[in-house]
Amino acid sequence: MNKRAAKAIINKDIRAIGSNIQLWLPMLIVPLVFSLVLPLVLVLPARFTDLSTMGNIEQIVKLFSKLSSGPLQETIMALPLAQQQIVYFTVNYLFAPFFLIIPLMVASIIGANSFAGEKERKTLETLLFAPLDLNTLLWAKILAAFLPATFLTLICSFLYGITVNIAAYPLFGRIIFPEVNWLLLLLWVTPALSLGAVFVNVFISAKVKGFQEAFQLSGLVILPVLGLFIGQLSGVLLVNSIFLWWSGAVLWLIDFLLVRKCGRFLNRNQLFTSQVS
Amino acid sequence: MTQEMIVLEKINKSFSGVPVINNLSFMVHQGEILGFLGPNGSGKTTTIRLLNGVITPDSGRLTVAGFNPVTAGDEVRKRCGVLTESAAFYGPMTARENLLFFADLYAVATPTRRVDELLHACGLTPHADKKVAVFSTGMKKRLGIAKALLHQPEILFLDEPTTGLDPEGARTLLDYIQELNRRFGVTIILATHLLKQVETLCHRFIFIDQGRLLADGTFAELAEKYLTAINLQVETDLEITGTEFQGFPLEKNTPGFLQFKVERKEQIPFLLKALLASGSVYSAQIYGRDLETLYFRIKEEKA
Ligand SMILES: Nc1ncnc2c1ncn2[C@@H]1O[C@H](COP(=O)(O)OP(=O)(O)OP(=O)(O)O)[C@@H](O)[C@H]1O
Ligand SMILES: [Mg+2]
Repeated sequence: MNKRAAKAIINKDIRAIGSNIQLWLPMLIVPLVFSLVLPLVLVLPARFTDLSTMGNIEQIVKLFSKLSSGPLQETIMALPLAQQQIVYFTVNYLFAPFFLIIPLMVASIIGANSFAGEKERKTLETLLFAPLDLNTLLWAKILAAFLPATFLTLICSFLYGITVNIAAYPLFGRIIFPEVNWLLLLLWVTPALSLGAVFVNVFISAKVKGFQEAFQLSGLVILPVLGLFIGQLSGVLLVNSIFLWWSGAVLWLIDFLLVRKCGRFLNRNQLFTSQVS
Repeated sequence: MTQEMIVLEKINKSFSGVPVINNLSFMVHQGEILGFLGPNGSGKTTTIRLLNGVITPDSGRLTVAGFNPVTAGDEVRKRCGVLTESAAFYGPMTARENLLFFADLYAVATPTRRVDELLHACGLTPHADKKVAVFSTGMKKRLGIAKALLHQPEILFLDEPTTGLDPEGARTLLDYIQELNRRFGVTIILATHLLKQVETLCHRFIFIDQGRLLADGTFAELAEKYLTAINLQVETDLEITGTEFQGFPLEKNTPGFLQFKVERKEQIPFLLKALLASGSVYSAQIYGRDLETLYFRIKEEKA
Protein backbone atom coordinates (compact mmCIF):
# COMPACT_ATOMS: atom_id res chain seq x y z
CA MET A 1 0.00 0.00 0.00
CA ASN A 2 1.43 3.30 -1.18
CA LYS A 3 0.06 5.86 1.30
CA ARG A 4 1.05 8.98 -0.57
CA ALA A 5 -0.56 7.82 -3.80
CA ALA A 6 -3.67 6.58 -2.00
CA LYS A 7 -4.08 9.91 -0.26
CA ALA A 8 -3.68 11.77 -3.53
CA ILE A 9 -6.34 9.66 -5.23
CA ILE A 10 -8.80 9.92 -2.34
CA ASN A 11 -8.32 13.68 -2.22
CA LYS A 12 -8.79 14.02 -5.93
CA ASP A 13 -11.90 11.84 -5.98
CA ILE A 14 -13.59 13.54 -3.07
CA ARG A 15 -12.89 16.95 -4.55
CA ALA A 16 -14.23 15.76 -7.88
CA ILE A 17 -17.52 14.85 -6.19
CA GLY A 18 -17.69 18.40 -4.90
CA SER A 19 -17.27 19.85 -8.36
CA ASN A 20 -19.79 17.50 -9.97
CA ILE A 21 -23.16 18.95 -9.11
CA GLN A 22 -25.07 16.14 -10.82
CA LEU A 23 -23.41 13.73 -8.48
CA TRP A 24 -23.79 15.46 -5.17
CA LEU A 25 -27.12 17.21 -5.56
CA PRO A 26 -29.26 14.05 -5.38
CA MET A 27 -26.95 12.74 -2.69
CA LEU A 28 -27.68 15.79 -0.63
CA ILE A 29 -31.34 16.38 -1.36
CA VAL A 30 -32.60 12.90 -0.57
CA PRO A 31 -30.84 12.70 2.79
CA LEU A 32 -31.98 16.19 3.72
CA VAL A 33 -35.57 15.26 2.95
CA PHE A 34 -35.26 12.18 5.11
CA SER A 35 -33.47 13.79 7.98
CA LEU A 36 -35.18 17.20 8.12
CA VAL A 37 -38.39 17.47 6.14
CA LEU A 38 -40.00 14.09 6.59
CA PRO A 39 -39.53 13.86 10.37
CA LEU A 40 -41.13 17.26 10.77
CA VAL A 41 -44.01 16.36 8.48
CA LEU A 42 -44.67 13.23 10.50
CA VAL A 43 -43.95 14.40 14.02
CA LEU A 44 -45.59 17.81 14.08
CA PRO A 45 -49.10 16.75 12.95
CA ALA A 46 -49.04 13.92 15.47
CA ARG A 47 -48.28 16.44 18.14
CA PHE A 48 -50.89 18.99 17.24
CA THR A 49 -53.90 17.00 16.11
CA ASP A 50 -56.22 15.41 18.56
CA LEU A 51 -55.63 11.77 17.82
CA SER A 52 -58.60 10.51 19.77
CA THR A 53 -60.88 11.90 17.08
CA MET A 54 -59.36 9.50 14.58
CA GLY A 55 -61.31 6.28 14.41
CA ASN A 56 -58.57 3.77 14.01
CA ILE A 57 -56.13 5.12 16.55
CA GLU A 58 -56.98 2.20 18.82
CA GLN A 59 -55.85 -0.25 16.17
CA ILE A 60 -52.52 1.49 15.74
CA VAL A 61 -51.85 1.58 19.42
CA LYS A 62 -52.84 -2.05 19.74
CA LEU A 63 -50.19 -2.85 17.17
CA PHE A 64 -47.51 -1.71 19.54
CA SER A 65 -48.38 -4.43 22.00
CA LYS A 66 -47.82 -6.92 19.20
CA LEU A 67 -44.29 -5.71 18.47
CA SER A 68 -41.74 -8.29 19.35
CA SER A 69 -40.84 -7.72 22.92
CA GLY A 70 -37.75 -5.75 23.78
CA PRO A 71 -36.69 -2.42 25.18
CA LEU A 72 -38.42 -0.46 22.44
CA GLN A 73 -41.77 -2.12 23.05
CA GLU A 74 -41.45 -1.72 26.77
CA THR A 75 -40.64 1.95 26.40
CA ILE A 76 -43.56 2.51 24.07
CA MET A 77 -46.01 0.64 26.25
CA ALA A 78 -44.87 2.62 29.27
CA LEU A 79 -45.72 5.93 27.61
CA PRO A 80 -49.01 7.32 28.98
CA LEU A 81 -50.31 9.10 25.87
CA ALA A 82 -51.24 7.57 22.50
CA GLN A 83 -49.67 10.63 20.88
CA GLN A 84 -46.43 9.97 22.64
CA GLN A 85 -46.53 6.33 21.65
CA ILE A 86 -47.04 7.15 18.00
CA VAL A 87 -44.38 9.85 17.87
CA TYR A 88 -41.91 7.70 19.73
CA PHE A 89 -42.58 4.81 17.41
CA THR A 90 -42.17 6.96 14.31
CA VAL A 91 -38.98 8.60 15.48
CA ASN A 92 -37.22 5.52 16.78
CA TYR A 93 -38.53 2.83 14.52
CA LEU A 94 -39.97 3.96 11.19
CA PHE A 95 -36.94 5.94 10.16
CA ALA A 96 -34.37 3.26 10.77
CA PRO A 97 -34.31 2.00 7.16
CA PHE A 98 -33.49 5.46 5.84
CA PHE A 99 -30.22 5.38 7.65
CA LEU A 100 -29.38 2.25 5.80
CA ILE A 101 -30.57 3.60 2.48
CA ILE A 102 -28.59 6.85 2.63
CA PRO A 103 -25.15 5.25 2.92
CA LEU A 104 -26.10 2.60 0.40
CA MET A 105 -27.17 5.21 -2.09
CA VAL A 106 -24.10 7.37 -1.66
CA ALA A 107 -21.81 4.35 -1.68
CA SER A 108 -23.44 3.08 -4.85
CA ILE A 109 -23.23 6.33 -6.77
CA ILE A 110 -19.64 7.11 -5.86
CA GLY A 111 -18.55 3.50 -6.05
CA ALA A 112 -20.11 2.96 -9.47
CA ASN A 113 -18.35 6.08 -10.69
CA SER A 114 -14.96 5.12 -9.25
CA PHE A 115 -13.30 3.24 -12.10
CA ALA A 116 -15.98 3.80 -14.70
CA GLY A 117 -15.58 7.56 -14.39
CA GLU A 118 -11.86 7.26 -15.02
CA LYS A 119 -12.54 5.08 -18.02
CA GLU A 120 -15.06 7.50 -19.49
CA ARG A 121 -12.69 10.42 -19.05
CA LYS A 122 -9.78 8.41 -20.49
CA THR A 123 -7.76 9.05 -17.37
CA LEU A 124 -7.58 5.41 -16.35
CA GLU A 125 -4.77 4.77 -18.81
CA THR A 126 -2.77 7.65 -17.37
CA LEU A 127 -3.20 6.03 -13.95
CA LEU A 128 -2.23 2.61 -15.27
CA PHE A 129 1.00 4.02 -16.69
CA ALA A 130 1.99 5.22 -13.21
CA PRO A 131 3.98 3.07 -10.77
CA LEU A 132 0.86 2.49 -8.73
CA ASP A 133 0.04 -0.99 -7.49
CA LEU A 134 -3.56 -2.02 -8.02
CA ASN A 135 -4.07 -2.72 -4.34
CA THR A 136 -3.39 0.91 -3.55
CA LEU A 137 -5.63 2.02 -6.37
CA LEU A 138 -8.43 -0.27 -5.24
CA TRP A 139 -8.19 0.80 -1.59
CA ALA A 140 -8.09 4.44 -2.53
CA LYS A 141 -11.21 3.99 -4.63
CA ILE A 142 -12.96 2.11 -1.83
CA LEU A 143 -12.12 4.75 0.76
CA ALA A 144 -13.00 7.59 -1.59
CA ALA A 145 -16.56 6.22 -1.63
CA PHE A 146 -16.77 4.85 1.89
CA LEU A 147 -15.64 7.99 3.70
CA PRO A 148 -18.19 10.35 2.11
CA ALA A 149 -20.97 7.77 2.54
CA THR A 150 -20.21 7.35 6.23
CA PHE A 151 -19.68 11.05 6.77
CA LEU A 152 -22.95 11.95 5.12
CA THR A 153 -24.82 9.33 7.15
CA LEU A 154 -23.43 10.66 10.39
CA ILE A 155 -24.27 14.23 9.44
CA CYS A 156 -27.79 13.17 8.55
CA SER A 157 -28.30 11.28 11.78
CA PHE A 158 -27.07 14.29 13.67
CA LEU A 159 -29.51 16.57 11.83
CA TYR A 160 -32.25 14.02 12.29
CA GLY A 161 -31.56 13.80 16.00
CA ILE A 162 -31.70 17.55 16.44
CA THR A 163 -34.86 17.89 14.35
CA VAL A 164 -36.88 15.18 16.02
CA ASN A 165 -35.80 16.14 19.51
CA ILE A 166 -36.76 19.76 18.98
CA ALA A 167 -40.04 18.79 17.36
CA ALA A 168 -40.98 16.26 20.02
CA TYR A 169 -39.55 17.94 23.11
CA PRO A 170 -42.77 19.71 24.16
CA LEU A 171 -44.59 16.40 24.09
CA PHE A 172 -42.07 14.45 26.14
CA GLY A 173 -40.11 16.99 28.10
CA ARG A 174 -36.98 14.96 27.46
CA ILE A 175 -34.72 13.80 24.65
CA ILE A 176 -36.13 10.73 22.94
CA PHE A 177 -33.46 10.06 20.35
CA PRO A 178 -31.10 8.25 19.96
CA GLU A 179 -31.61 5.01 21.78
CA VAL A 180 -28.66 2.72 22.36
CA ASN A 181 -29.81 0.56 19.47
CA TRP A 182 -29.60 3.51 17.14
CA LEU A 183 -26.00 4.04 18.02
CA LEU A 184 -25.37 0.39 17.28
CA LEU A 185 -27.13 0.76 13.97
CA LEU A 186 -25.29 3.91 12.95
CA LEU A 187 -21.83 3.06 14.18
CA TRP A 188 -21.70 -0.69 13.74
CA VAL A 189 -24.19 -1.98 11.15
CA THR A 190 -24.37 0.91 8.73
CA PRO A 191 -20.60 1.26 8.12
CA ALA A 192 -20.35 -2.48 7.52
CA LEU A 193 -23.20 -2.32 5.05
CA SER A 194 -21.81 0.69 3.21
CA LEU A 195 -18.37 -0.86 2.98
CA GLY A 196 -19.92 -3.93 1.40
CA ALA A 197 -21.91 -1.79 -1.01
CA VAL A 198 -18.85 0.29 -1.88
CA PHE A 199 -16.90 -2.83 -2.51
CA VAL A 200 -19.50 -4.37 -4.81
CA ASN A 201 -19.85 -1.13 -6.73
CA VAL A 202 -16.15 -0.44 -7.10
CA PHE A 203 -15.66 -3.98 -8.28
CA ILE A 204 -18.46 -3.73 -10.86
CA SER A 205 -17.08 -0.36 -11.88
CA ALA A 206 -13.69 -1.90 -12.55
CA LYS A 207 -15.23 -4.57 -14.76
CA VAL A 208 -17.62 -2.65 -16.97
CA LYS A 209 -17.02 0.05 -19.55
CA GLY A 210 -18.86 3.09 -18.27
CA PHE A 211 -20.81 4.67 -15.42
CA GLN A 212 -24.22 3.81 -16.90
CA GLU A 213 -23.47 0.09 -17.03
CA ALA A 214 -21.91 0.20 -13.60
CA PHE A 215 -24.85 1.97 -12.06
CA GLN A 216 -27.43 -0.32 -13.66
CA LEU A 217 -25.59 -3.45 -12.71
CA SER A 218 -25.05 -2.20 -9.21
CA GLY A 219 -28.78 -1.59 -8.92
CA LEU A 220 -29.37 -5.19 -9.88
CA VAL A 221 -27.04 -6.38 -7.18
CA ILE A 222 -27.79 -3.90 -4.45
CA LEU A 223 -31.58 -3.67 -4.67
CA PRO A 224 -32.44 -7.28 -3.81
CA VAL A 225 -29.96 -7.20 -0.95
CA LEU A 226 -31.48 -3.97 0.20
CA GLY A 227 -35.03 -5.32 0.02
CA LEU A 228 -34.12 -8.46 1.88
CA PHE A 229 -32.12 -6.69 4.47
CA ILE A 230 -34.48 -3.88 5.18
CA GLY A 231 -37.51 -6.16 5.20
CA GLN A 232 -35.85 -8.27 7.85
CA LEU A 233 -34.31 -5.41 9.70
CA SER A 234 -37.42 -3.32 10.05
CA GLY A 235 -38.98 -6.20 11.91
CA VAL A 236 -36.31 -6.87 14.46
CA LEU A 237 -33.57 -4.39 14.01
CA LEU A 238 -34.28 -1.82 16.58
CA VAL A 239 -35.98 -4.19 18.91
CA ASN A 240 -33.14 -6.48 19.60
CA SER A 241 -29.61 -5.28 20.19
CA ILE A 242 -28.19 -8.81 20.06
CA PHE A 243 -29.49 -9.09 16.54
CA LEU A 244 -27.82 -5.78 15.68
CA TRP A 245 -24.50 -6.96 17.04
CA TRP A 246 -24.74 -10.12 15.03
CA SER A 247 -25.86 -8.67 11.73
CA GLY A 248 -23.08 -6.11 12.00
CA ALA A 249 -20.56 -8.83 12.72
CA VAL A 250 -21.72 -10.93 9.77
CA LEU A 251 -21.53 -7.92 7.46
CA TRP A 252 -18.02 -7.04 8.64
CA LEU A 253 -16.95 -10.62 8.07
CA ILE A 254 -18.36 -10.57 4.53
CA ASP A 255 -16.56 -7.26 3.91
CA PHE A 256 -13.34 -8.69 5.21
CA LEU A 257 -13.56 -11.73 2.97
CA LEU A 258 -14.50 -9.67 -0.08
CA VAL A 259 -11.65 -7.26 0.42
CA ARG A 260 -9.15 -10.04 1.05
CA LYS A 261 -10.09 -11.90 -2.12
CA CYS A 262 -10.73 -9.03 -4.47
CA GLY A 263 -7.14 -8.21 -5.35
CA ARG A 264 -6.94 -11.43 -7.30
CA PHE A 265 -9.73 -10.48 -9.66
CA LEU A 266 -8.16 -7.24 -10.74
CA ASN A 267 -5.22 -6.79 -13.03
CA ARG A 268 -3.91 -4.03 -15.24
CA ASN A 269 -4.54 -5.85 -18.46
CA GLN A 270 -8.17 -6.48 -17.54
CA LEU A 271 -8.68 -2.91 -16.35
CA PHE A 272 -7.20 -1.56 -19.54
CA THR A 273 -9.20 -3.87 -21.80
CA SER A 274 -12.45 -3.11 -19.98
CA GLN A 275 -12.27 0.43 -21.33
CA VAL A 276 -13.19 -0.73 -24.81
CA SER A 277 -15.51 -3.64 -24.26
CA MET B 1 25.59 2.37 -27.06
CA THR B 2 26.47 -0.20 -24.49
CA GLN B 3 23.69 -1.81 -22.53
CA GLU B 4 20.37 -3.08 -23.81
CA MET B 5 17.67 -1.02 -22.17
CA ILE B 6 14.67 -2.57 -23.87
CA VAL B 7 14.38 -6.04 -25.35
CA LEU B 8 11.42 -7.58 -27.13
CA GLU B 9 11.67 -11.23 -28.02
CA LYS B 10 9.06 -12.84 -30.26
CA ILE B 11 6.20 -10.82 -28.85
CA ASN B 12 2.67 -11.71 -29.90
CA LYS B 13 -0.50 -9.92 -28.91
CA SER B 14 -4.01 -10.15 -30.25
CA PHE B 15 -7.22 -8.40 -29.28
CA SER B 16 -10.26 -10.67 -29.30
CA GLY B 17 -8.61 -13.05 -31.72
CA VAL B 18 -7.24 -10.42 -34.08
CA PRO B 19 -3.43 -10.45 -34.08
CA VAL B 20 -1.99 -6.97 -33.62
CA ILE B 21 1.63 -7.71 -32.76
CA ASN B 22 3.24 -10.55 -34.66
CA ASN B 23 6.45 -12.16 -33.51
CA LEU B 24 8.01 -8.78 -32.90
CA SER B 25 11.63 -8.67 -31.74
CA PHE B 26 13.94 -5.71 -31.41
CA MET B 27 15.99 -3.90 -28.83
CA VAL B 28 16.90 -0.43 -27.76
CA HIS B 29 20.27 0.47 -26.29
CA GLN B 30 20.83 2.70 -23.33
CA GLY B 31 21.10 6.33 -24.34
CA GLU B 32 19.65 5.78 -27.76
CA ILE B 33 16.96 7.81 -29.50
CA LEU B 34 14.90 5.31 -31.43
CA GLY B 35 12.52 6.37 -34.17
CA PHE B 36 9.57 3.99 -34.02
CA LEU B 37 7.82 4.18 -37.36
CA GLY B 38 4.89 2.53 -39.04
CA PRO B 39 1.52 3.34 -40.61
CA ASN B 40 -1.68 3.86 -38.62
CA GLY B 41 -2.75 0.76 -36.78
CA SER B 42 0.62 -0.94 -37.17
CA GLY B 43 0.92 -1.49 -33.42
CA LYS B 44 3.18 1.30 -32.14
CA THR B 45 0.95 2.41 -29.30
CA THR B 46 0.20 -1.22 -28.46
CA THR B 47 3.93 -1.92 -28.22
CA ILE B 48 4.39 1.04 -25.87
CA ARG B 49 1.58 -0.25 -23.67
CA LEU B 50 3.10 -3.72 -23.64
CA LEU B 51 6.50 -2.34 -22.65
CA ASN B 52 4.94 -0.49 -19.72
CA GLY B 53 3.07 -3.53 -18.48
CA VAL B 54 -0.32 -1.92 -18.99
CA ILE B 55 -1.33 -4.85 -21.17
CA THR B 56 0.24 -8.30 -21.20
CA PRO B 57 1.61 -10.07 -24.27
CA ASP B 58 0.13 -13.41 -25.31
CA SER B 59 3.61 -14.84 -25.71
CA GLY B 60 7.22 -13.75 -25.92
CA ARG B 61 9.58 -12.03 -23.53
CA LEU B 62 9.94 -8.39 -22.58
CA THR B 63 12.69 -6.68 -20.63
CA VAL B 64 12.71 -3.00 -19.78
CA ALA B 65 15.55 -1.54 -17.69
CA GLY B 66 16.33 -5.05 -16.56
CA PHE B 67 12.78 -5.83 -15.38
CA ASN B 68 9.94 -7.80 -16.84
CA PRO B 69 6.98 -5.45 -17.25
CA VAL B 70 4.55 -8.33 -16.76
CA THR B 71 5.86 -9.42 -13.37
CA ALA B 72 7.66 -6.30 -12.12
CA GLY B 73 5.55 -3.65 -13.76
CA ASP B 74 5.90 -1.01 -11.07
CA GLU B 75 9.70 -1.22 -11.23
CA VAL B 76 9.46 -0.60 -14.96
CA ARG B 77 6.93 2.20 -14.60
CA LYS B 78 9.08 3.95 -11.98
CA ARG B 79 11.79 4.27 -14.60
CA CYS B 80 9.65 5.13 -17.60
CA GLY B 81 7.93 8.31 -18.62
CA VAL B 82 5.10 7.90 -21.09
CA LEU B 83 3.21 10.19 -23.37
CA THR B 84 0.41 8.62 -25.39
CA GLU B 85 -2.44 10.06 -27.37
CA SER B 86 -5.05 8.07 -25.50
CA ALA B 87 -4.08 8.90 -21.90
CA ALA B 88 -5.92 11.99 -20.72
CA PHE B 89 -5.85 14.39 -17.76
CA TYR B 90 -8.52 15.48 -15.31
CA GLY B 91 -10.55 18.22 -16.97
CA PRO B 92 -11.99 19.89 -13.86
CA MET B 93 -8.49 20.24 -12.39
CA THR B 94 -5.92 22.84 -13.41
CA ALA B 95 -2.66 21.96 -15.13
CA ARG B 96 -0.79 22.48 -11.90
CA GLU B 97 -3.23 20.35 -9.87
CA ASN B 98 -2.94 17.57 -12.43
CA LEU B 99 0.84 17.62 -12.29
CA LEU B 100 0.88 17.75 -8.49
CA PHE B 101 -1.45 14.78 -8.42
CA PHE B 102 0.80 12.74 -10.68
CA ALA B 103 3.84 13.91 -8.74
CA ASP B 104 2.33 12.07 -5.78
CA LEU B 105 1.78 8.93 -7.84
CA TYR B 106 5.34 9.08 -9.17
CA ALA B 107 6.79 9.80 -5.71
CA VAL B 108 8.48 13.02 -6.81
CA ALA B 109 10.64 14.33 -3.97
CA THR B 110 10.05 18.07 -4.29
CA PRO B 111 6.72 18.25 -6.10
CA THR B 112 6.07 21.99 -6.05
CA ARG B 113 9.49 22.87 -7.39
CA ARG B 114 9.53 20.13 -10.00
CA VAL B 115 6.06 21.04 -11.23
CA ASP B 116 6.97 24.73 -11.57
CA GLU B 117 10.12 23.76 -13.41
CA LEU B 118 8.24 21.61 -15.91
CA LEU B 119 5.39 24.07 -16.38
CA HIS B 120 8.05 26.55 -17.34
CA ALA B 121 10.01 24.17 -19.55
CA CYS B 122 6.86 23.18 -21.42
CA GLY B 123 5.68 26.74 -21.88
CA LEU B 124 2.64 26.25 -19.68
CA THR B 125 3.38 28.79 -16.95
CA PRO B 126 0.75 31.26 -18.23
CA HIS B 127 -1.85 28.48 -18.29
CA ALA B 128 -0.84 26.71 -15.10
CA ASP B 129 -3.99 27.63 -13.23
CA LYS B 130 -6.48 27.07 -16.01
CA LYS B 131 -8.67 24.00 -16.01
CA VAL B 132 -7.40 21.36 -18.38
CA ALA B 133 -10.91 21.03 -19.82
CA VAL B 134 -10.41 24.34 -21.64
CA PHE B 135 -6.93 23.46 -22.94
CA SER B 136 -6.21 23.35 -26.67
CA THR B 137 -4.76 20.20 -28.25
CA GLY B 138 -1.24 21.54 -28.13
CA MET B 139 -1.55 22.65 -24.52
CA LYS B 140 -2.76 19.19 -23.53
CA LYS B 141 0.17 17.70 -25.37
CA ARG B 142 2.59 19.96 -23.50
CA LEU B 143 0.99 18.93 -20.24
CA GLY B 144 1.39 15.29 -21.24
CA ILE B 145 5.07 15.86 -21.87
CA ALA B 146 5.48 17.58 -18.51
CA LYS B 147 3.81 14.61 -16.81
CA ALA B 148 6.06 12.15 -18.63
CA LEU B 149 9.12 14.01 -17.34
CA LEU B 150 7.95 14.51 -13.73
CA HIS B 151 10.03 11.75 -12.15
CA GLN B 152 13.11 12.21 -14.35
CA PRO B 153 12.69 8.87 -16.09
CA GLU B 154 15.55 6.84 -17.55
CA ILE B 155 13.38 5.85 -20.48
CA LEU B 156 10.98 8.09 -22.28
CA PHE B 157 8.19 6.78 -24.52
CA LEU B 158 6.83 9.52 -26.70
CA ASP B 159 3.86 8.57 -28.84
CA GLU B 160 3.42 11.26 -31.49
CA PRO B 161 4.77 14.01 -29.23
CA THR B 162 4.75 16.78 -31.80
CA THR B 163 1.40 16.12 -33.47
CA GLY B 164 -0.78 19.09 -32.67
CA LEU B 165 2.09 21.30 -31.56
CA ASP B 166 2.78 24.56 -33.35
CA PRO B 167 6.10 24.72 -35.25
CA GLU B 168 7.90 26.57 -32.47
CA GLY B 169 6.47 24.17 -29.89
CA ALA B 170 7.62 21.18 -31.93
CA ARG B 171 11.08 22.68 -32.41
CA THR B 172 11.46 23.45 -28.71
CA LEU B 173 10.32 19.97 -27.75
CA LEU B 174 12.65 18.21 -30.15
CA ASP B 175 15.57 20.31 -28.93
CA TYR B 176 14.59 19.52 -25.37
CA ILE B 177 14.43 15.80 -26.13
CA GLN B 178 17.86 15.95 -27.65
CA GLU B 179 19.21 17.77 -24.62
CA LEU B 180 17.70 15.22 -22.21
CA ASN B 181 19.35 12.52 -24.22
CA ARG B 182 22.74 14.24 -24.38
CA ARG B 183 22.92 15.53 -20.84
CA PHE B 184 21.25 12.74 -18.91
CA GLY B 185 21.56 9.81 -21.29
CA VAL B 186 17.81 9.29 -21.33
CA THR B 187 16.78 6.49 -23.67
CA ILE B 188 14.00 7.69 -25.92
CA ILE B 189 11.47 5.82 -28.02
CA LEU B 190 9.80 8.17 -30.40
CA ALA B 191 6.75 7.01 -32.36
CA THR B 192 5.80 9.49 -35.02
CA HIS B 193 4.50 10.09 -38.52
CA LEU B 194 6.32 13.39 -38.93
CA LEU B 195 9.37 11.87 -40.52
CA LYS B 196 11.15 15.09 -41.47
CA GLN B 197 11.24 16.21 -37.85
CA VAL B 198 13.01 13.13 -36.55
CA GLU B 199 15.28 12.27 -39.46
CA THR B 200 18.38 13.77 -37.88
CA LEU B 201 17.26 13.42 -34.26
CA CYS B 202 17.00 9.64 -34.06
CA HIS B 203 20.06 7.46 -33.83
CA ARG B 204 18.25 4.44 -35.16
CA PHE B 205 14.92 3.50 -36.70
CA ILE B 206 12.51 0.60 -36.39
CA PHE B 207 9.87 0.16 -39.07
CA ILE B 208 6.84 -1.98 -38.32
CA ASP B 209 3.69 -2.81 -40.22
CA GLN B 210 0.81 -4.97 -39.01
CA GLY B 211 2.78 -5.68 -35.88
CA ARG B 212 5.72 -7.10 -37.85
CA LEU B 213 9.24 -5.79 -37.95
CA LEU B 214 10.07 -4.55 -41.45
CA ALA B 215 13.45 -2.93 -40.94
CA ASP B 216 15.83 -1.96 -38.17
CA GLY B 217 18.96 0.16 -38.46
CA THR B 218 20.59 3.57 -38.55
CA PHE B 219 19.64 5.92 -41.34
CA ALA B 220 22.95 5.25 -43.11
CA GLU B 221 22.52 1.48 -42.83
CA LEU B 222 18.96 1.57 -44.09
CA ALA B 223 19.76 4.02 -46.86
CA GLU B 224 22.59 1.79 -47.95
CA LYS B 225 20.23 -1.13 -48.15
CA TYR B 226 17.04 0.40 -49.49
CA LEU B 227 17.94 3.65 -51.23
CA THR B 228 19.92 1.99 -53.97
CA ALA B 229 19.47 4.68 -56.58
CA ILE B 230 19.97 8.40 -56.10
CA ASN B 231 17.89 11.11 -57.68
CA LEU B 232 19.90 14.18 -58.55
CA GLN B 233 18.08 17.33 -59.54
CA VAL B 234 20.13 19.84 -61.45
CA GLU B 235 19.17 23.42 -62.22
CA THR B 236 20.61 24.10 -65.67
CA ASP B 237 20.12 25.95 -68.96
CA LEU B 238 20.82 22.78 -70.88
CA GLU B 239 17.99 21.38 -72.95
CA ILE B 240 17.93 17.68 -73.56
CA THR B 241 15.69 15.49 -75.63
CA GLY B 242 15.46 11.76 -75.06
CA THR B 243 15.55 9.66 -71.90
CA GLU B 244 19.21 9.83 -71.02
CA PHE B 245 22.28 12.01 -71.02
CA GLN B 246 25.64 10.38 -71.57
CA GLY B 247 24.49 7.11 -70.02
CA PHE B 248 22.67 8.71 -67.06
CA PRO B 249 18.94 7.95 -67.21
CA LEU B 250 16.70 11.00 -67.08
CA GLU B 251 13.87 10.77 -64.57
CA LYS B 252 12.21 14.10 -65.06
CA ASN B 253 12.66 16.86 -67.60
CA THR B 254 11.09 20.21 -66.81
CA PRO B 255 12.16 23.64 -68.18
CA GLY B 256 15.25 24.70 -66.25
CA PHE B 257 15.45 21.49 -64.21
CA LEU B 258 16.67 17.99 -64.99
CA GLN B 259 16.40 15.02 -62.71
CA PHE B 260 18.80 12.12 -63.16
CA LYS B 261 18.93 8.67 -61.70
CA VAL B 262 22.40 7.82 -60.43
CA GLU B 263 23.36 4.34 -59.26
CA ARG B 264 26.05 5.30 -56.78
CA LYS B 265 27.03 8.66 -55.36
CA GLU B 266 30.58 8.25 -56.70
CA GLN B 267 29.10 8.84 -60.17
CA ILE B 268 27.77 12.28 -59.30
CA PRO B 269 31.02 14.19 -60.09
CA PHE B 270 31.18 12.57 -63.52
CA LEU B 271 27.62 13.56 -64.32
CA LEU B 272 28.22 17.11 -63.18
CA LYS B 273 31.42 17.36 -65.23
CA ALA B 274 29.58 16.13 -68.31
CA LEU B 275 26.80 18.67 -67.77
CA LEU B 276 29.24 21.55 -67.23
CA ALA B 277 31.02 20.63 -70.42
CA SER B 278 27.90 21.40 -72.45
CA GLY B 279 26.10 24.06 -70.41
CA SER B 280 25.79 25.87 -67.07
CA VAL B 281 24.79 24.27 -63.75
CA TYR B 282 23.28 26.62 -61.17
CA SER B 283 22.48 24.14 -58.45
CA ALA B 284 22.43 20.41 -57.80
CA GLN B 285 20.43 18.64 -55.13
CA ILE B 286 19.98 15.05 -54.09
CA TYR B 287 16.37 14.00 -53.91
CA GLY B 288 14.95 11.04 -52.10
CA ARG B 289 17.76 10.46 -49.66
CA ASP B 290 15.43 11.17 -46.81
CA LEU B 291 13.47 9.24 -44.24
CA GLU B 292 10.23 9.63 -46.11
CA THR B 293 11.57 8.00 -49.26
CA LEU B 294 13.11 5.32 -47.10
CA TYR B 295 9.74 4.73 -45.45
CA PHE B 296 8.00 4.23 -48.78
CA ARG B 297 10.82 2.12 -50.20
CA ILE B 298 10.74 -0.21 -47.21
CA LYS B 299 6.97 -0.53 -47.39
CA GLU B 300 7.12 -1.27 -51.12
CA GLU B 301 9.88 -3.79 -50.74
CA LYS B 302 8.15 -5.73 -47.97
CA ALA B 303 4.63 -5.57 -49.36
N1 LIG C 1 -7.87 -2.62 -26.77
C1 LIG C 1 -7.96 -2.95 -28.06
N2 LIG C 1 -8.93 -3.77 -28.46
C2 LIG C 1 -9.04 -4.13 -29.75
N3 LIG C 1 -8.20 -3.74 -30.71
C3 LIG C 1 -7.19 -2.92 -30.38
C4 LIG C 1 -7.03 -2.47 -29.04
N4 LIG C 1 -5.95 -1.67 -29.00
C5 LIG C 1 -5.47 -1.62 -30.26
N5 LIG C 1 -6.22 -2.36 -31.10
C6 LIG C 1 -5.95 -2.56 -32.53
O1 LIG C 1 -4.58 -2.81 -32.68
C7 LIG C 1 -4.09 -2.25 -33.87
C8 LIG C 1 -2.84 -1.44 -33.55
O2 LIG C 1 -3.20 -0.30 -32.85
P1 LIG C 1 -2.15 0.77 -32.33
O3 LIG C 1 -2.92 1.80 -31.61
O4 LIG C 1 -1.08 0.06 -31.61
O5 LIG C 1 -1.59 1.35 -33.69
P2 LIG C 1 -0.56 2.55 -33.90
O6 LIG C 1 0.60 1.99 -34.62
O7 LIG C 1 -0.30 3.24 -32.63
O8 LIG C 1 -1.39 3.46 -34.88
P3 LIG C 1 -1.41 5.07 -35.01
O9 LIG C 1 -0.28 5.44 -35.87
O10 LIG C 1 -2.71 5.32 -35.69
O11 LIG C 1 -1.35 5.64 -33.66
C9 LIG C 1 -5.21 -1.47 -34.46
O12 LIG C 1 -5.75 -2.23 -35.53
C10 LIG C 1 -6.22 -1.33 -33.36
O13 LIG C 1 -7.51 -1.34 -33.87
MG1 LIG D 1 -0.74 5.16 -31.92
